[in-house]
Amino acid sequence: MLLHILNRSPATSEVYRQALSAMGAADRLLLIEDGVQGALGPLVECFGDLTGRLYALEEDLSARGLVPLCDASVVKVDVEGFVTLTEEAMRTVSWF
Amino acid sequence: MANDKAQWMEGDLLVILRHGPHGTSWLREGLDAALVAAAFGRRVTLLFMGEGVTALVPGQSGGPLGQKGTAPTLEMLEMYDIDSLLVEADALARFGLCVDGLLLPARAAGPLELSALARTHALVLTF
Amino acid sequence: MATSEIYRYLDFKGASVPLDPEGYLIDLDDWNPDVARAIANEEGIELTHEHWEIIEVLRDFYRRFEQAPAMRPLVKAVTKALGEEKGRSIHLMRLFPGSPAKLGARIAGLPKPTNCL
Repeated sequence: MLLHILNRSPATSEVYRQALSAMGAADRLLLIEDGVQGALGPLVECFGDLTGRLYALEEDLSARGLVPLCDASVVKVDVEGFVTLTEEAMRTVSWF
Repeated sequence: MANDKAQWMEGDLLVILRHGPHGTSWLREGLDAALVAAAFGRRVTLLFMGEGVTALVPGQSGGPLGQKGTAPTLEMLEMYDIDSLLVEADALARFGLCVDGLLLPARAAGPLELSALARTHALVLTF
Repeated sequence: MATSEIYRYLDFKGASVPLDPEGYLIDLDDWNPDVARAIANEEGIELTHEHWEIIEVLRDFYRRFEQAPAMRPLVKAVTKALGEEKGRSIHLMRLFPGSPAKLGARIAGLPKPTNCL
């Protein structure tokens, strides 16, 4: 299992498509920095069906006031959760 | 023609903000430019486009490392008499936001109005 | 952002407070009324009740907006807090001659107003 990390908003950058194309069936996707915009209701659909495999960094959601708008299908993780995700993954791949 | 144009000017400066808070410094730089212009008495219009609309989400805070946020600066705009705030209607919909729930009073602008803005301002700066 | 280098020290009453090249506090937490008096003294200003009113408005502005005001918003903030008469720029110019926004910020222990040339 690989952990893919995306720091750009799907509303602004097409790089999320590259991340999705590169993801294996069990891989996980973590949204950080401006990437957390993708956790919002209408935008989360950009990621298709990643149920249980789509994560967003809570600190970045919180700084942007987006915690209440985060879609229920997205798993919120704090920095420790980020570390755990990294440990569980064979490698991480950054998309920016 | 020149007179024609002058009649249609709605403001001296249009600042287009296309980036959200925290991820980059574009939003802050755009706001700074708007403040400088306003401090010198220019009439400034702000247009929040694309992910820029997230600048107006309430409940923001400083960054995880204690970086200053942009929300206090937005709240300060009023003191600089910057009260002409427009948001791209399409972007609001895309982000699932509603114009009534924003940090500051703003008006949603549809495609027709957007396309006229650059013409009705003497100067346009894009951030 | 108070990351400027220490240029000199303001010495008064046995205390010593670091200042940046333009005379603003390096560490905003160093501010207290004695520091304000010492800075004002450097500028040849004796702080009166009328000065302290404005200093309070300036500090309140900074608490709310995390920035020091340029002249225009300072006038507006003073007018809101203390009324039309005190908000007139002539009043502010008399209290803080030259550039009220810059000098006021320095004495009130705020960073230099950024959007004010």
